Amino acid sequence: MTRSQILANLHTSLASNRPWLEAVARSAPHSIPPYVMPAADDLDAQFMAELHAIAGMAYPVADERAALTQIAALLADRPSPQIIAWEVEQIGLAGLAALLDQQGVTLATSDLHGTSRSAHLQNMEPLAICISGVEAGIAESGSLVLRHGPGRPRLASLLAPCHIAILRRSQLVRGLGEALALLRNRYGEEIFTSTSNLTLITGPSRTADIEMTLSLGIHGPPEVHVVLVG
Amino acid sequence: MSSQPISFYERVNTALDDTSLKTALNRATERFVGNRAGALRALSDANGLRDAARAIRAGALAQLDTLLVQLAERVEARGGHVCWASDAAEAQRYIVNLAQARQVRSIVKSKSMASEEIHLNQALEAAGVQVVETDLGEYIIQLAGETPSHIIAPSIHKTREQVSELFHQHLGVPPTDDIPTMTQTARRALRQRFLQADMGISGVNFGVADEGAVVIVENEGNARLSTSVPRIHVAIMGIERIVAHMEDLGVMLQVLARSATGQKLSVYTSIINGPARPGEADGPEEFHLVLLDNGRSKMLGSQYAEALLCIRCGACLNACPVYQAIGGHAYGGVYSGPIGAVLTPILQPDLPDVYLLPQASSLCGACQEVCPVRIAIPDLLLRHRADAVKAGKAHPIEQAAMSSYKRMMTNPFLYRAAGRAARNGSRLIGRKGRIRRLPPPLHTWSRGRDFPTLPAKSFSEMWEEEN
Ligand code: SF4
Repeated sequence: MTRSQILANLHTSLASNRPWLEAVARSAPHSIPPYVMPAADDLDAQFMAELHAIAGMAYPVADERAALTQIAALLADRPSPQIIAWEVEQIGLAGLAALLDQQGVTLATSDLHGTSRSAHLQNMEPLAICISGVEAGIAESGSLVLRHGPGRPRLASLLAPCHIAILRRSQLVRGLGEALALLRNRYGEEIFTSTSNLTLITGPSRTADIEMTLSLGIHGPPEVHVVLVG
Repeated sequence: MSSQPISFYERVNTALDDTSLKTALNRATERFVGNRAGALRALSDANGLRDAARAIRAGALAQLDTLLVQLAERVEARGGHVCWASDAAEAQRYIVNLAQARQVRSIVKSKSMASEEIHLNQALEAAGVQVVETDLGEYIIQLAGETPSHIIAPSIHKTREQVSELFHQHLGVPPTDDIPTMTQTARRALRQRFLQADMGISGVNFGVADEGAVVIVENEGNARLSTSVPRIHVAIMGIERIVAHMEDLGVMLQVLARSATGQKLSVYTSIINGPARPGEADGPEEFHLVLLDNGRSKMLGSQYAEALLCIRCGACLNACPVYQAIGGHAYGGVYSGPIGAVLTPILQPDLPDVYLLPQASSLCGACQEVCPVRIAIPDLLLRHRADAVKAGKAHPIEQAAMSSYKRMMTNPFLYRAAGRAARNGSRLIGRKGRIRRLPPPLHTWSRGRDFPTLPAKSFSEMWEEEN
């Protein structure tokens, strides 16, 4: 059996090198820093500055009403009869369902596991807008943490050229270490019980594969708009 | 590699003669070096973070046997499948059989050096399955019929003019020198491939033992599409690429992104645990994890074990004056640059003149200084050289070798590159004076010839002085 052969090799190898590896492992603390940049006073400002630096857009708004106005403006600029989105209750922004109704916008079916997989994909492909909620925002890198799962499709931050994310000020953490600790506190050992995927998104899709020259939107959305509420 | 039967020296000479290669390497490595230095300088405690990264990786390797079992069990508990593959042939066979059993016609692939290691594309194509590389750089070199020349930037050796010509030929678009236009062409060409693919194949940056998850880091979104849209996801992971706890990512992702491209975090980090759960709209119905040994389990017990700490950030390539001068293909193996010169003789021992790779280094130490997990690469290269002598493989320096090295080391481009790197903060070459001897095997002709100094101080020391 290959498995037992590989494990047997590992046992033999570790018999000689484990002491050395353990010494290296002990040579520095494994503690995970909650954040790694010099601490900023104002997490909102830090988040927005970082997001801007990587070509994302942030819209600080005072309350849910203002958030809806902002979303309406983004929708108006990119007319799309259907959008790819999390279920409205998963986004958790009061009034969003009514806004979409009023604009005549419906949610595309994104279920790839039924019989019409290919039809659903082809239907979604030309759509202009994705809308998602987030689990947290990371101030020092301008990142969004998305915990996907039922009602929270991955394609709702991926397929269309414009991704709108709704982030609450209260969801901001300072650094990646803090974000991972928050997930652990909130879900314990159950982080992946009902979901197969966590994704960190740090700005728009980018590539520098041709002569190290930046261009946006190679496969994922070229536009990331974060509505920062509260 | 069988497709490159020509000797190492010939490849080096060809590379040195290639002026567009020089232009491309010049434009690219310069940017990488500057980005990395800037990203690390901004940290509160860059050295502390690198020390932690090294310690975390060593701790994981020290218990690699138990962590791999834990990872596999947890993947299986979620309904995923695990293949333990001792070599390239086993990994290939598993994936080809799976594709055939599931009637897979087309596959989208996101960047995976492990899949290059097992020559997967050739095997799948021989079985009649269409495979499309979807990372822009990989797509470009697939169109060109080449192999990656850099871990992070596989098409680093191509100029925009060459890419435009490839797209013109293969996709029928008009030639352009506008890079965003080329990017959009590739987006359109590849989108339908994603939507129609039956299987997605990815690499793995980190396996997370305690969660049974795999982590895939990228900037483009092609890995997200490859692992979310098709019915089947196959992830290929070198067995050493593991961390014990999900929290360890709080260190590893940050040093990886900063060392690789100078970003604070890569654009997309996917942490994937098994196939889609009930009620999830997307994500694959089947998840397969291929654990590839291919020499690693034995390497762990050897004097080269330290190289298994590597997180494939590519920083050592960008810092290396030899890589800057000859590019990735001259190394002949899957992994190039300083770490390639350490790994290839172990992972691909049958390559012709593979024993010469560890000699393609001036041992200047730049690789070790930039390595986020502080691998003592020059030391490992010296061990290879000693092994080659013991095995009776290293001959007195041949005439051919001499002329290659001479060209490499007297190439003005090399010194320009090193000078740029110095201005950008990594200071490969010291300020005062010249050195009179190069280490073996270069020393025989360095006598009587002056070379720029090797760094008098370590990178960290200079950094502390300057900041
Ligand atoms: S050896 Fe170090 S610098 Fe080179 S790719 Fe690996 S981790 Fe990066």
